[in-house]
Amino acid sequence: MAAPSAAGLGWRLRAWLPRIMPVRWSRYNPSYLEPEVKKESYQKPLEELTEEEREQMELKAVRPIKAAPPTLSSSVFSDPMISKFTNMMMKSGNKVLARSLMSQTLENIKRKQLEKYHKAPENEKETIECNPYVIFHQALKNCQPIIGLSNITKGGKTYQVPVPLTDNRKRFLAMKWLITECRDNKHRRTMMPEKLSQELLLAFNNEGPVIKRKHVLHKMAEANRAYAHFRWW
Amino acid sequence: TLRLICTTTAIQRKNAGASGSEKYTEAFIKKQIEEFNLGKRHLANMMGEDPETFTQEDIDRAIAYLFPSGLFDEQARPMMKHPNEVFPEQRKIQWGEDGRPFHFLFYTGKQSYYSLMHETYEKMLNVQKHQDQLIAQDIPLQKEKRNLAGSRWLTKIELEEMLVEKVSDDDYSRFIQLLQKLVALPCADIEEKYIQKFSKEVPVQLQKVVIEPLQYDERGVAFSTGEGKRKTASATAVVYDNGTGKITVNGIDILHYFPVLQDREQLLFPFQFLGRIGKHDAVCTVSGGGRSAQAGAIRLATAKALRSFVTEKEVEFMRQAGLLTVDPRVKERKKPGQEGPRRKFTWKKR
Repeated sequence: MAAPSAAGLGWRLRAWLPRIMPVRWSRYNPSYLEPEVKKESYQKPLEELTEEEREQMELKAVRPIKAAPPTLSSSVFSDPMISKFTNMMMKSGNKVLARSLMSQTLENIKRKQLEKYHKAPENEKETIECNPYVIFHQALKNCQPIIGLSNITKGGKTYQVPVPLTDNRKRFLAMKWLITECRDNKHRRTMMPEKLSQELLLAFNNEGPVIKRKHVLHKMAEANRAYAHFRWW
Repeated sequence: TLRLICTTTAIQRKNAGASGSEKYTEAFIKKQIEEFNLGKRHLANMMGEDPETFTQEDIDRAIAYLFPSGLFDEQARPMMKHPNEVFPEQRKIQWGEDGRPFHFLFYTGKQSYYSLMHETYEKMLNVQKHQDQLIAQDIPLQKEKRNLAGSRWLTKIELEEMLVEKVSDDDYSRFIQLLQKLVALPCADIEEKYIQKFSKEVPVQLQKVVIEPLQYDERGVAFSTGEGKRKTASATAVVYDNGTGKITVNGIDILHYFPVLQDREQLLFPFQFLGRIGKHDAVCTVSGGGRSAQAGAIRLATAKALRSFVTEKEVEFMRQAGLLTVDPRVKERKKPGQEGPRRKFTWKKR
């Protein structure tokens, strides 16, 4: 791929261009740090901070900081996991549609839980969780696999080797499985919010096809334990 | 006879390096400096100004006036600078009359770099010896942490200038690693002076920007303006005090101008972060860009306007939340041989 040269382009593209153009690059200089949006972290008094946090604060005072992206905001309603999930649901850049589907899903979850709440006897009312955000987070946590498989070629043959996964990868797999499950295995006429709310509630109770898929992956990893030593990282 | 006022070869250092056989002798440089000073006095006389107090800026202005040039490239126009800036610093000849080099590391090819590494390692051995002495005398070692955030190491270019010789990337990173190791040792305070030669102070970010004071309009209400840009949209915002929290964009209320919730959330972000949602009124104008770009531009403009209403600490908090930086992300250009900025054409086997 021909690397873009600084010479023919205007002032706007000169935000940051390194000597050698890497394939995965960002418009920010590498010294820019991520922004911290939550208000609570700025209201802590100095004494309560640990050594690391103090160093981090000093570093932030000196380095420039990236601009906050449009999906991030300090209001109580913006949640990074929810925005990540909305982005993964989005098709061809239609964020309006994805956002409305997400809010309809959360509304559906709330409705279903409230129905259950009002029908339940007195002693069980406290155990029913009505907050859709809590249900969403717990469901995602329950869907995350602990160990994954990766293809390693050795001696001409490709083996499925069990491999530990990073946090980001686990979250990504959980969200991906949920979305593919909702898009593929449903009746033709069911809307996405309905199907998604159903899947999320099942995942919250550790049931449903997504949890089954996670268990299948764990079993495969357990079965291929013998090849674990092929991993070199 | 034509007299050269200055040469432009040295401005582009690559050219001077290519024609490396042209070694400037000391006598030559001295003569150039004398000629420069004489020329400076002549120029001052020509312009009718005092030759004693004729600064470099005056020289630049005078040359631009006497030799107007329509060339686009600033470095192609006529200029008159001190010979030390024009001719790059070069090493004098490194060997004597009998052909024997002066420096003992001459035949390594990078004599200054290796001698520098040698010196730094010597300092490290000194520190370790001192540490051993302290341990032998049973004195506890002081573990004072040097403030790393306030200083940075020299960049590769600055090191090259210091050593007057090319330094490769690997060599530079090795040198920085060695310096970091030296600093990490407990008794590194002894060599503080040596280390300071290679570190520079980084000023705190906040001091770079000037915050404008509040202005007052006819009714006595305090207001301040701010400008913001994002992608292709540019916005100006005027934030008034003692307001009800109404925000108007191009004469239209935000509820009608931005039907999408995400954009309105972005507009209210600076106010919500500072906790001043119902206290300010804002009147904004925006043009260009799309829906999200306009929202981002207005967000930046309102954040910049709010700086005048707020204490310095809160301005620093806003900066660390990412509200005051201009977003440099723009649409990537399409490249030849590809369908888009990243997408390649469909690969066909035949």
